[in-house]
Amino acid sequence: MSLTLLAILGGLLALDGTSVGQVMVSRPLVAGVLAGWVMGDPFLGLLIGGILEVYFISVFPVGGSEFPEGGPPALVAVATGAAIPETADMAAGIALGVLVGFIWSRIGSGSVQALRQLNGRLVPDPSRREVSQARIVWAHLAGIGLDFVRGFLLSVGGLVFGPWLARSLAEQWPLGMPATLGILAVGASLPAGAFVRSLGGWKRRAAFFATGLMGFLVGSALL
Amino acid sequence: MKAVARWARFSVFARSFLIQGSWNFRTMLGGGFAFALLPFLRRLFGDDPVALRAALQRHTEHFNAHPYMAGAALGAVCRMEEDRKDPEEIARFKRAVRGPLGGLGDVLVWVGWRPLTVLAALVLALVGVSPVLTVVCFLVLYNAGHLALRIWSFRVGLQKGSHVGDPLRRMALPLQADRLAAVGVFLLGGLVGLLVHQGWLLGGWALTLLCGTGGVWGLWLGGLVGQRGWKWSIWGTSIIITSLLVFGWIA
Repeated sequence: MSLTLLAILGGLLALDGTSVGQVMVSRPLVAGVLAGWVMGDPFLGLLIGGILEVYFISVFPVGGSEFPEGGPPALVAVATGAAIPETADMAAGIALGVLVGFIWSRIGSGSVQALRQLNGRLVPDPSRREVSQARIVWAHLAGIGLDFVRGFLLSVGGLVFGPWLARSLAEQWPLGMPATLGILAVGASLPAGAFVRSLGGWKRRAAFFATGLMGFLVGSALL
Repeated sequence: MKAVARWARFSVFARSFLIQGSWNFRTMLGGGFAFALLPFLRRLFGDDPVALRAALQRHTEHFNAHPYMAGAALGAVCRMEEDRKDPEEIARFKRAVRGPLGGLGDVLVWVGWRPLTVLAALVLALVGVSPVLTVVCFLVLYNAGHLALRIWSFRVGLQKGSHVGDPLRRMALPLQADRLAAVGVFLLGGLVGLLVHQGWLLGGWALTLLCGTGGVWGLWLGGLVGQRGWKWSIWGTSIIITSLLVFGWIA
Protein backbone atom coordinates (compact mmCIF):
# COMPACT_ATOMS: atom_id res chain seq x y z
CA MET A 1 0.00 0.00 0.00
CA SER A 2 1.30 3.45 -0.87
CA LEU A 3 2.61 5.87 1.72
CA THR A 4 -0.14 8.38 0.86
CA LEU A 5 -2.94 5.90 1.49
CA LEU A 6 -1.38 4.76 4.78
CA ALA A 7 -0.94 8.39 5.83
CA ILE A 8 -4.62 9.06 5.02
CA LEU A 9 -5.46 6.11 7.28
CA GLY A 10 -3.25 7.75 9.94
CA GLY A 11 -5.16 11.02 9.54
CA LEU A 12 -8.49 9.23 10.00
CA LEU A 13 -7.17 7.38 13.07
CA ALA A 14 -6.03 10.70 14.54
CA LEU A 15 -9.54 12.12 14.11
CA ASP A 16 -11.03 9.30 16.16
CA GLY A 17 -8.63 10.07 19.02
CA THR A 18 -10.47 13.24 20.08
CA SER A 19 -12.26 15.15 17.35
CA VAL A 20 -14.71 12.76 15.74
CA GLY A 21 -16.80 10.04 17.34
CA GLN A 22 -14.24 8.39 19.61
CA VAL A 23 -15.44 4.93 18.58
CA MET A 24 -11.97 3.65 19.56
CA VAL A 25 -10.59 2.67 16.17
CA SER A 26 -7.68 4.83 17.35
CA ARG A 27 -6.79 2.42 20.18
CA PRO A 28 -3.35 0.88 19.50
CA LEU A 29 -4.89 -2.60 19.43
CA VAL A 30 -7.40 -1.69 16.70
CA ALA A 31 -5.09 0.64 14.76
CA GLY A 32 -2.32 -1.98 14.93
CA VAL A 33 -4.49 -4.78 13.53
CA LEU A 34 -5.96 -2.43 10.91
CA ALA A 35 -2.46 -1.37 9.84
CA GLY A 36 -1.24 -4.98 9.86
CA TRP A 37 -4.25 -6.06 7.83
CA VAL A 38 -3.65 -3.47 5.08
CA MET A 39 0.05 -4.40 5.05
CA GLY A 40 -0.77 -8.10 4.81
CA ASP A 41 0.23 -9.18 8.35
CA PRO A 42 -2.61 -8.70 10.87
CA PHE A 43 -0.86 -10.96 13.42
CA LEU A 44 2.14 -8.60 13.58
CA GLY A 45 -0.34 -5.74 13.97
CA LEU A 46 -2.05 -7.55 16.84
CA LEU A 47 1.26 -8.26 18.57
CA ILE A 48 2.63 -4.70 18.37
CA GLY A 49 -0.78 -3.05 18.89
CA GLY A 50 -1.52 -5.32 21.86
CA ILE A 51 1.83 -4.52 23.51
CA LEU A 52 1.31 -0.75 23.05
CA GLU A 53 -2.23 -1.13 24.37
CA VAL A 54 -1.04 -2.61 27.69
CA TYR A 55 1.62 0.11 28.04
CA PHE A 56 -1.13 2.76 27.61
CA ILE A 57 -3.81 1.01 29.68
CA SER A 58 -3.43 3.30 32.69
CA VAL A 59 -3.65 6.48 30.60
CA PHE A 60 -6.98 8.26 30.85
CA PRO A 61 -7.61 11.30 28.60
CA VAL A 62 -9.29 13.38 31.30
CA GLY A 63 -9.76 17.14 30.93
CA GLY A 64 -6.83 18.84 29.28
CA SER A 65 -4.27 16.26 30.40
CA GLU A 66 -1.39 15.29 28.14
CA PHE A 67 -1.61 11.66 27.07
CA PRO A 68 0.27 9.52 24.52
CA GLU A 69 -1.51 9.27 21.19
CA GLY A 70 -2.53 5.76 20.11
CA GLY A 71 -3.73 5.64 16.49
CA PRO A 72 -1.09 7.01 14.09
CA PRO A 73 1.81 5.81 16.33
CA ALA A 74 0.44 2.23 16.25
CA LEU A 75 0.23 2.47 12.44
CA VAL A 76 3.83 3.68 12.30
CA ALA A 77 4.95 0.99 14.77
CA VAL A 78 3.46 -1.80 12.66
CA ALA A 79 4.95 -0.34 9.47
CA THR A 80 8.33 -0.33 11.25
CA GLY A 81 7.95 -3.94 12.37
CA ALA A 82 6.91 -5.02 8.87
CA ALA A 83 9.90 -3.33 7.25
CA ILE A 84 12.69 -5.45 8.76
CA PRO A 85 14.85 -7.34 6.23
CA GLU A 86 13.98 -11.01 5.62
CA THR A 87 17.27 -12.07 7.21
CA ALA A 88 16.37 -10.47 10.56
CA ASP A 89 14.37 -12.12 13.36
CA MET A 90 10.74 -11.04 13.81
CA ALA A 91 11.70 -10.18 17.41
CA ALA A 92 13.74 -7.28 16.02
CA GLY A 93 10.67 -5.99 14.19
CA ILE A 94 8.62 -6.09 17.38
CA ALA A 95 11.30 -4.38 19.51
CA LEU A 96 11.91 -1.64 16.92
CA GLY A 97 8.19 -1.26 16.21
CA VAL A 98 7.41 -0.76 19.89
CA LEU A 99 10.33 1.69 20.28
CA VAL A 100 9.21 3.80 17.31
CA GLY A 101 5.60 3.54 18.56
CA PHE A 102 6.69 5.05 21.90
CA ILE A 103 8.60 7.88 20.23
CA TRP A 104 5.71 8.68 17.88
CA SER A 105 3.14 8.56 20.69
CA ARG A 106 5.10 11.31 22.47
CA ILE A 107 5.43 13.38 19.28
CA GLY A 108 1.71 12.83 18.67
CA SER A 109 0.94 13.97 22.19
CA GLY A 110 2.93 17.18 21.66
CA SER A 111 1.18 17.85 18.36
CA VAL A 112 -2.24 17.41 20.01
CA GLN A 113 -1.29 20.04 22.61
CA ALA A 114 -0.12 22.40 19.86
CA LEU A 115 -3.38 21.89 17.96
CA ARG A 116 -5.36 22.68 21.10
CA GLN A 117 -3.46 25.96 21.44
CA LEU A 118 -4.22 26.76 17.81
CA ASN A 119 -7.90 25.89 18.26
CA GLY A 120 -7.98 28.44 21.09
CA ARG A 121 -7.17 31.14 18.54
CA LEU A 122 -9.68 29.85 16.00
CA VAL A 123 -12.81 29.49 18.13
CA PRO A 124 -14.79 32.70 18.70
CA ASP A 125 -14.27 34.42 22.03
CA PRO A 126 -17.74 35.41 23.29
CA SER A 127 -16.32 37.96 25.72
CA ARG A 128 -14.52 39.92 22.98
CA ARG A 129 -16.62 39.95 19.85
CA GLU A 130 -20.03 39.06 18.56
CA VAL A 131 -20.37 35.42 17.61
CA SER A 132 -21.78 34.49 14.21
CA GLN A 133 -23.09 31.15 12.97
CA ALA A 134 -20.55 31.08 10.16
CA ARG A 135 -17.67 31.71 12.56
CA ILE A 136 -18.74 28.87 14.87
CA VAL A 137 -19.11 26.38 11.99
CA TRP A 138 -15.90 27.49 10.27
CA ALA A 139 -13.78 27.34 13.44
CA HIS A 140 -15.15 23.95 14.39
CA LEU A 141 -14.68 22.34 10.98
CA ALA A 142 -11.22 23.93 10.71
CA GLY A 143 -10.28 22.29 14.01
CA ILE A 144 -11.37 18.90 12.68
CA GLY A 145 -9.58 19.47 9.35
CA LEU A 146 -6.37 20.48 11.12
CA ASP A 147 -6.53 17.38 13.30
CA PHE A 148 -6.70 15.25 10.15
CA VAL A 149 -3.73 17.10 8.63
CA ARG A 150 -1.82 16.65 11.91
CA GLY A 151 -2.44 12.88 11.87
CA PHE A 152 -1.54 12.70 8.17
CA LEU A 153 1.78 14.52 8.63
CA LEU A 154 2.60 12.59 11.79
CA SER A 155 2.04 9.35 9.88
CA VAL A 156 4.11 10.47 6.87
CA GLY A 157 7.05 11.29 9.16
CA GLY A 158 6.76 7.96 10.97
CA LEU A 159 6.28 5.93 7.80
CA VAL A 160 9.53 7.36 6.44
CA PHE A 161 11.56 7.20 9.68
CA GLY A 162 10.34 3.88 11.13
CA PRO A 163 11.00 1.59 8.15
CA TRP A 164 14.37 3.30 7.56
CA LEU A 165 15.33 2.60 11.19
CA ALA A 166 14.11 -1.00 10.90
CA ARG A 167 16.16 -1.64 7.77
CA SER A 168 19.25 -0.04 9.34
CA LEU A 169 19.17 -1.65 12.81
CA ALA A 170 17.11 -4.85 12.68
CA GLU A 171 20.19 -7.05 12.18
CA GLN A 172 21.75 -5.67 15.40
CA TRP A 173 18.93 -6.94 17.67
CA PRO A 174 20.62 -9.55 19.89
CA LEU A 175 17.62 -11.32 21.47
CA GLY A 176 15.20 -14.00 20.27
CA MET A 177 11.42 -13.84 20.47
CA PRO A 178 10.90 -15.25 24.02
CA ALA A 179 13.39 -12.87 25.67
CA THR A 180 12.10 -9.87 23.66
CA LEU A 181 8.50 -10.53 24.64
CA GLY A 182 9.65 -11.15 28.23
CA ILE A 183 11.31 -7.71 28.46
CA LEU A 184 8.22 -6.04 26.99
CA ALA A 185 5.93 -7.95 29.39
CA VAL A 186 7.97 -6.83 32.41
CA GLY A 187 7.91 -3.23 31.12
CA ALA A 188 4.14 -3.40 30.63
CA SER A 189 3.61 -4.66 34.18
CA LEU A 190 4.29 -1.17 35.58
CA PRO A 191 1.36 0.56 33.83
CA ALA A 192 -0.76 -2.51 34.62
CA GLY A 193 0.00 -1.96 38.32
CA ALA A 194 -0.81 1.74 37.93
CA PHE A 195 -4.10 0.73 36.33
CA VAL A 196 -5.00 -1.40 39.39
CA ARG A 197 -4.27 1.61 41.60
CA SER A 198 -6.68 3.71 39.50
CA LEU A 199 -9.35 1.05 40.04
CA GLY A 200 -9.10 1.07 43.82
CA GLY A 201 -5.62 -0.22 44.64
CA TRP A 202 -4.11 -3.63 45.39
CA LYS A 203 -5.59 -3.98 48.89
CA ARG A 204 -9.12 -3.63 47.57
CA ARG A 205 -8.75 -5.52 44.28
CA ALA A 206 -6.16 -8.23 44.99
CA ALA A 207 -8.82 -10.94 45.32
CA PHE A 208 -10.27 -10.18 41.87
CA PHE A 209 -6.80 -10.14 40.33
CA ALA A 210 -5.77 -13.41 41.99
CA THR A 211 -9.04 -15.12 40.96
CA GLY A 212 -8.57 -14.06 37.36
CA LEU A 213 -4.90 -15.09 37.35
CA MET A 214 -5.44 -18.52 38.85
CA GLY A 215 -8.62 -19.19 36.90
CA PHE A 216 -7.13 -18.41 33.50
CA LEU A 217 -3.75 -20.00 34.31
CA VAL A 218 -5.30 -23.29 35.42
CA GLY A 219 -7.90 -23.15 32.63
CA SER A 220 -5.32 -22.62 29.88
CA ALA A 221 -3.02 -25.31 31.35
CA LEU A 222 -5.86 -27.85 31.44
CA LEU A 223 -7.10 -27.02 27.94
CA MET B 1 -40.80 18.89 23.28
CA LYS B 2 -43.10 19.00 20.28
CA ALA B 3 -42.50 22.54 19.05
CA VAL B 4 -39.06 22.08 17.54
CA ALA B 5 -38.90 19.46 14.79
CA ARG B 6 -37.59 16.02 15.62
CA TRP B 7 -35.01 16.46 12.86
CA ALA B 8 -33.41 19.44 14.62
CA ARG B 9 -33.07 17.41 17.82
CA PHE B 10 -31.57 14.52 15.88
CA SER B 11 -29.09 16.94 14.27
CA VAL B 12 -27.98 18.07 17.73
CA PHE B 13 -27.45 14.44 18.76
CA ALA B 14 -25.56 13.64 15.53
CA ARG B 15 -23.35 16.72 15.96
CA SER B 16 -22.59 15.70 19.56
CA PHE B 17 -20.24 13.08 18.02
CA LEU B 18 -18.11 16.02 16.82
CA ILE B 19 -18.34 18.03 20.05
CA GLN B 20 -14.58 17.84 20.69
CA GLY B 21 -13.65 18.97 17.15
CA SER B 22 -12.38 22.36 18.29
CA TRP B 23 -11.25 21.36 21.82
CA ASN B 24 -9.04 24.12 23.23
CA PHE B 25 -7.64 25.30 26.54
CA ARG B 26 -9.70 28.54 26.58
CA THR B 27 -13.32 27.42 26.09
CA MET B 28 -12.68 23.64 26.05
CA LEU B 29 -15.92 22.21 24.58
CA GLY B 30 -17.51 25.68 24.24
CA GLY B 31 -17.16 25.89 20.45
CA GLY B 32 -18.33 22.30 20.01
CA PHE B 33 -21.32 22.88 22.27
CA ALA B 34 -22.50 25.83 20.18
CA PHE B 35 -21.77 23.91 16.95
CA ALA B 36 -23.92 20.99 18.14
CA LEU B 37 -26.79 23.23 19.31
CA LEU B 38 -26.82 25.33 16.14
CA PRO B 39 -29.55 23.42 14.17
CA PHE B 40 -31.85 23.52 17.19
CA LEU B 41 -31.28 27.21 17.94
CA ARG B 42 -31.72 28.10 14.26
CA ARG B 43 -35.06 26.34 14.29
CA LEU B 44 -36.11 27.86 17.61
CA PHE B 45 -35.08 31.47 16.92
CA GLY B 46 -35.30 31.37 13.12
CA ASP B 47 -37.50 34.44 12.94
CA ASP B 48 -35.54 36.40 15.54
CA PRO B 49 -31.90 36.91 14.50
CA VAL B 50 -31.10 39.02 17.58
CA ALA B 51 -32.24 36.27 19.96
CA LEU B 52 -30.37 33.67 17.88
CA ARG B 53 -27.15 35.68 18.07
CA ALA B 54 -27.54 36.16 21.81
CA ALA B 55 -28.10 32.42 22.32
CA LEU B 56 -25.01 31.57 20.24
CA GLN B 57 -22.99 34.07 22.25
CA ARG B 58 -24.05 32.33 25.49
CA HIS B 59 -23.36 28.81 24.29
CA THR B 60 -19.88 29.52 22.92
CA GLU B 61 -18.69 30.20 26.46
CA HIS B 62 -16.48 27.81 28.41
CA PHE B 63 -17.96 24.35 28.89
CA ASN B 64 -16.48 20.94 29.58
CA ALA B 65 -17.83 17.43 30.14
CA HIS B 66 -17.06 13.89 29.15
CA PRO B 67 -17.83 13.71 25.39
CA TYR B 68 -20.29 10.81 25.81
CA MET B 69 -22.12 12.54 28.69
CA ALA B 70 -22.19 16.00 27.09
CA GLY B 71 -25.41 14.86 25.41
CA ALA B 72 -27.19 15.17 28.77
CA ALA B 73 -26.28 18.87 28.92
CA LEU B 74 -27.11 19.39 25.24
CA GLY B 75 -30.53 17.75 25.64
CA ALA B 76 -31.27 19.67 28.83
CA VAL B 77 -30.26 22.99 27.25
CA CYS B 78 -32.51 22.26 24.23
CA ARG B 79 -35.38 21.71 26.63
CA MET B 80 -34.62 24.83 28.67
CA GLU B 81 -34.21 27.04 25.59
CA GLU B 82 -37.50 25.74 24.23
CA ASP B 83 -39.22 26.44 27.55
CA ARG B 84 -37.79 30.00 27.25
CA LYS B 85 -35.97 29.78 30.56
CA ASP B 86 -34.00 32.77 31.75
CA PRO B 87 -30.54 32.86 30.02
CA GLU B 88 -28.86 33.33 33.40
CA GLU B 89 -30.57 30.16 34.68
CA ILE B 90 -29.33 28.21 31.64
CA ALA B 91 -25.79 29.52 32.17
CA ARG B 92 -25.97 28.54 35.86
CA PHE B 93 -27.20 25.08 34.88
CA LYS B 94 -24.28 24.59 32.48
CA ARG B 95 -21.80 25.69 35.12
CA ALA B 96 -23.36 23.29 37.64
CA VAL B 97 -23.38 20.15 35.46
CA ARG B 98 -20.02 20.40 33.71
CA GLY B 99 -18.04 19.01 36.68
CA PRO B 100 -20.33 16.04 37.46
CA LEU B 101 -20.80 15.12 33.78
CA GLY B 102 -17.04 15.16 33.31
CA GLY B 103 -16.25 13.19 36.46
CA LEU B 104 -18.95 10.56 35.98
CA GLY B 105 -18.03 9.96 32.37
CA ASP B 106 -14.32 9.72 33.14
CA VAL B 107 -14.85 7.13 35.87
CA LEU B 108 -17.50 5.17 34.00
CA VAL B 109 -15.94 5.14 30.51
CA TRP B 110 -12.21 5.94 30.58
CA VAL B 111 -11.45 4.13 33.86
CA GLY B 112 -14.16 1.45 33.73
CA TRP B 113 -15.69 0.47 30.41
CA ARG B 114 -12.83 1.10 27.99
CA PRO B 115 -10.07 -0.81 29.85
CA LEU B 116 -12.53 -3.63 30.56
CA THR B 117 -13.37 -4.11 26.87
CA VAL B 118 -9.71 -3.71 25.86
CA LEU B 119 -8.68 -6.40 28.36
CA ALA B 120 -11.49 -8.68 27.17
CA ALA B 121 -10.15 -8.26 23.61
CA LEU B 122 -6.58 -9.01 24.71
CA VAL B 123 -7.78 -12.15 26.49
CA LEU B 124 -9.58 -13.21 23.29
CA ALA B 125 -6.38 -12.65 21.30
CA LEU B 126 -4.34 -14.73 23.76
CA VAL B 127 -6.76 -17.67 23.64
CA GLY B 128 -6.25 -17.78 19.87
CA VAL B 129 -9.08 -15.77 18.31
CA SER B 130 -7.98 -14.28 14.97
CA PRO B 131 -6.71 -10.65 15.03
CA VAL B 132 -9.52 -9.28 12.87
CA LEU B 133 -12.25 -11.05 14.86
CA THR B 134 -10.65 -9.86 18.13
CA VAL B 135 -10.82 -6.26 16.98
CA VAL B 136 -14.38 -6.63 15.64
CA CYS B 137 -15.50 -8.11 18.99
CA PHE B 138 -13.84 -5.21 20.85
CA LEU B 139 -15.41 -2.54 18.64
CA VAL B 140 -18.90 -4.08 18.83
CA LEU B 141 -18.77 -4.56 22.60
CA TYR B 142 -17.23 -1.18 23.37
CA ASN B 143 -19.53 0.77 21.07
CA ALA B 144 -22.66 -1.02 22.31
CA GLY B 145 -21.96 0.61 25.69
CA HIS B 146 -20.73 3.84 24.13
CA LEU B 147 -23.80 4.39 21.94
CA ALA B 148 -26.20 3.32 24.69
CA LEU B 149 -24.67 5.92 27.02
CA ARG B 150 -24.79 8.69 24.41
CA ILE B 151 -28.43 7.96 23.48
CA TRP B 152 -29.54 7.58 27.11
CA SER B 153 -27.83 10.77 28.31
CA PHE B 154 -29.24 12.87 25.44
CA ARG B 155 -32.75 11.50 26.00
CA VAL B 156 -32.77 12.12 29.76
CA GLY B 157 -31.48 15.62 29.10
CA LEU B 158 -34.33 16.31 26.67
CA GLN B 159 -36.94 14.81 28.99
CA LYS B 160 -35.80 16.24 32.32
CA GLY B 161 -34.30 19.58 31.34
CA SER B 162 -32.70 21.25 34.35
CA HIS B 163 -33.64 18.22 36.51
CA VAL B 164 -31.30 15.94 34.57
CA GLY B 165 -29.40 15.23 37.80
CA ASP B 166 -32.26 13.08 39.18
CA PRO B 167 -32.01 10.18 36.69
CA LEU B 168 -28.20 10.40 36.84
CA ARG B 169 -28.36 9.94 40.61
CA ARG B 170 -30.87 7.07 40.29
CA MET B 171 -28.59 5.25 37.87
CA ALA B 172 -25.91 5.22 40.60
CA LEU B 173 -23.19 5.54 37.98
CA PRO B 174 -20.27 5.50 40.46
CA LEU B 175 -21.53 2.11 41.71
CA GLN B 176 -21.69 0.81 38.13
CA ALA B 177 -18.16 2.12 37.58
CA ASP B 178 -16.99 0.26 40.69
CA ARG B 179 -18.44 -3.00 39.35
CA LEU B 180 -16.78 -2.43 35.98
CA ALA B 181 -13.49 -1.82 37.82
CA ALA B 182 -13.78 -5.16 39.64
CA VAL B 183 -14.36 -7.00 36.34
CA GLY B 184 -11.47 -5.06 34.78
CA VAL B 185 -9.03 -6.19 37.49
CA PHE B 186 -10.32 -9.78 37.16
CA LEU B 187 -9.62 -9.68 33.41
CA LEU B 188 -6.18 -8.16 34.03
CA GLY B 189 -5.43 -11.11 36.32
CA GLY B 190 -6.70 -13.44 33.59
CA LEU B 191 -4.46 -11.78 31.04
CA VAL B 192 -1.43 -12.22 33.29
CA GLY B 193 -2.39 -15.88 33.84
CA LEU B 194 -2.56 -16.49 30.09
CA LEU B 195 0.76 -14.69 29.57
CA VAL B 196 2.44 -16.85 32.22
CA HIS B 197 1.17 -19.99 30.49
CA GLN B 198 2.23 -18.78 27.03
CA GLY B 199 5.62 -17.69 28.44
CA TRP B 200 6.12 -21.16 29.88
CA LEU B 201 5.39 -22.77 26.50
CA LEU B 202 7.49 -20.27 24.53
CA GLY B 203 10.50 -19.65 26.76
CA GLY B 204 10.63 -22.44 29.35
CA TRP B 205 10.50 -22.24 33.15
CA ALA B 206 13.71 -20.23 33.68
CA LEU B 207 12.64 -17.30 31.50
CA THR B 208 9.07 -17.45 32.87
CA LEU B 209 10.38 -17.32 36.43
CA LEU B 210 12.70 -14.42 35.61
CA CYS B 211 10.03 -12.40 33.80
CA GLY B 212 7.41 -13.39 36.39
CA THR B 213 9.61 -11.98 39.18
CA GLY B 214 10.17 -8.79 37.18
CA GLY B 215 6.45 -8.60 36.46
CA VAL B 216 5.49 -8.91 40.13
CA TRP B 217 7.90 -6.07 40.99
CA GLY B 218 6.50 -4.03 38.11
CA LEU B 219 2.89 -4.54 39.23
CA TRP B 220 3.80 -3.59 42.80
CA LEU B 221 5.79 -0.52 41.73
CA GLY B 222 3.01 0.55 39.34
CA GLY B 223 0.56 0.35 42.22
CA LEU B 224 2.84 2.65 44.21
CA VAL B 225 3.59 5.30 41.59
CA GLY B 226 0.12 5.38 39.98
CA GLN B 227 -0.43 7.63 36.97
CA ARG B 228 3.28 8.31 36.45
CA GLY B 229 3.78 4.57 35.85
CA TRP B 230 3.21 4.64 32.10
CA LYS B 231 5.84 7.36 31.61
CA TRP B 232 8.42 5.43 33.64
CA SER B 233 7.75 2.20 31.79
CA ILE B 234 7.93 3.86 28.36
CA TRP B 235 11.22 5.55 29.25
CA GLY B 236 12.64 2.41 30.86
CA THR B 237 11.67 0.09 27.99
CA SER B 238 12.96 2.58 25.39
CA ILE B 239 16.32 2.80 27.17
CA ILE B 240 16.59 -1.01 27.41
CA ILE B 241 15.73 -1.52 23.71
CA THR B 242 18.20 1.18 22.66
CA SER B 243 20.93 -0.27 24.91
CA LEU B 244 20.40 -3.75 23.46
CA LEU B 245 20.62 -2.35 19.92
CA VAL B 246 23.90 -0.59 20.80
CA PHE B 247 25.18 -3.79 22.45
CA GLY B 248 24.22 -5.83 19.34
CA TRP B 249 25.91 -3.29 17.08
CA ILE B 250 29.15 -3.36 19.12
CA ALA B 251 29.08 -7.17 19.43
